[in-house]
Amino acid sequence: MKIDPEKCIACLECVDFCPMNCIAEKDSGVEIDQDECVECGVCLHVGVCPTDALYRPEEVNHYPRAIRAEFSDPGVWHPSTNQGGRGTEEMKTNDVTGRFRRGEFGMALEFGRPGTGARMSDLEKVLQVLVKMDVELETNNAVFAFLEEPITGKVKPEFRNEKVLSAILEFKIREDQLEEIVRQLQPVLAEVDTVVSWGLASRFAEDGTLPVRTQLAALGLPARPNAKINMGMGRPIVEQ
Amino acid sequence: MSHALHRHGTTEQLQIDYTFYARASRFVNRDGCGPKLRKILAIALSEPNLVNYGSSQAGKSYEAGLKPEEYAATLDKAYGVAGCFSDKETVRSFLKNLKEADTGISIVISGLIDEIVKIGKELDIKPHTAFLSLGVHGKRSLLPEDEVQQVTTMCGHGMVGAKLTKVVMDRVKRGKITPEKGAHILAQPCPCGIFNTNRCRTILEECKKEAAR
Repeated sequence: MKIDPEKCIACLECVDFCPMNCIAEKDSGVEIDQDECVECGVCLHVGVCPTDALYRPEEVNHYPRAIRAEFSDPGVWHPSTNQGGRGTEEMKTNDVTGRFRRGEFGMALEFGRPGTGARMSDLEKVLQVLVKMDVELETNNAVFAFLEEPITGKVKPEFRNEKVLSAILEFKIREDQLEEIVRQLQPVLAEVDTVVSWGLASRFAEDGTLPVRTQLAALGLPARPNAKINMGMGRPIVEQ
Repeated sequence: MSHALHRHGTTEQLQIDYTFYARASRFVNRDGCGPKLRKILAIALSEPNLVNYGSSQAGKSYEAGLKPEEYAATLDKAYGVAGCFSDKETVRSFLKNLKEADTGISIVISGLIDEIVKIGKELDIKPHTAFLSLGVHGKRSLLPEDEVQQVTTMCGHGMVGAKLTKVVMDRVKRGKITPEKGAHILAQPCPCGIFNTNRCRTILEECKKEAAR
């Protein structure tokens, strides 16, 4: 995002709305720190500028910078996945896709959430561990388009320093791997230079319970009392 | 969108915070899903206690001025409908009506697990899959105060920043704006409409009371 100095009257109305806190008064005007700006567009979308001085310049639509809006502005779709947002359908449509079946868990590690943002290089430390583990990485996640191939856990060099509001690593594990994966990930996550929100997707058991909650508590990683629940109302339903 | 996961708060605080997301799958039933999504939107709009709704496709929420007909018009090129409620009775009524409509579109409800499962049982709806939050890891020293996180995490895309939240909290505490107005301001950046302004108002009222003590 940029501010047209010819139009800006330095009213500072936009400053507080920036989630990355990167709009500031400078000299006699207002500037956006281009390195910290994630191109989320909040300052523009909320419509607080009385003189329409805020704009998204054409050059931000070109890579590598274009990755910022793709991972930060939910209204901008990812060309590689043909959808907006940061993740995939994951468990939201699991009742019709059968992505996660009984005996399997889905995991999602969202870097930069809540509210801190992340450099794409922040993903590498964890991704380099994940690729050596026996997990199934979710290749439908938009992050995949920006990784070096063959997949070693490295982000393509031109994208490493790009900052986004958040980016997600998604993968699937077998139920019997849970303890091992948790034990291996915890110390690696502690070393990451931003925050990481961790999620786990599980099928409900036939009796309507979630046995994984007990397993997680026993591992010292209790699930929060609130969750997202796919109510099983999609059709045709995948029962397994 | 793991957007509605990781909402911060205690069990007591989360009693008034439920979101819904109707989502068509691009692998199964996304083609031509517009009429079904419009049906789901109509069911949501028929709930008198619907708090907020919106979509990133439409680019704004009810709180930011999105009209129902505007929202409905976007649904031929979209794949979901989202919004939020503040009470279990509305969740129950919404699910009951969705069950009767039988659109075949996946429905996700976010909120307290035990409450949602209980409602499902009452309506003979069998929950399929849960996405659990295992908390925030990494550099937790970057996180703002607990009360600020309660507000900011109601937009999982991170559009509602800590700075704006603190500024609004301060204005409410000083009596410059009402908690209701504060909640309305904080809802503006979240286009998906799952920012729960009722819960936000409650949090801001609590801040005001705390400041007065």
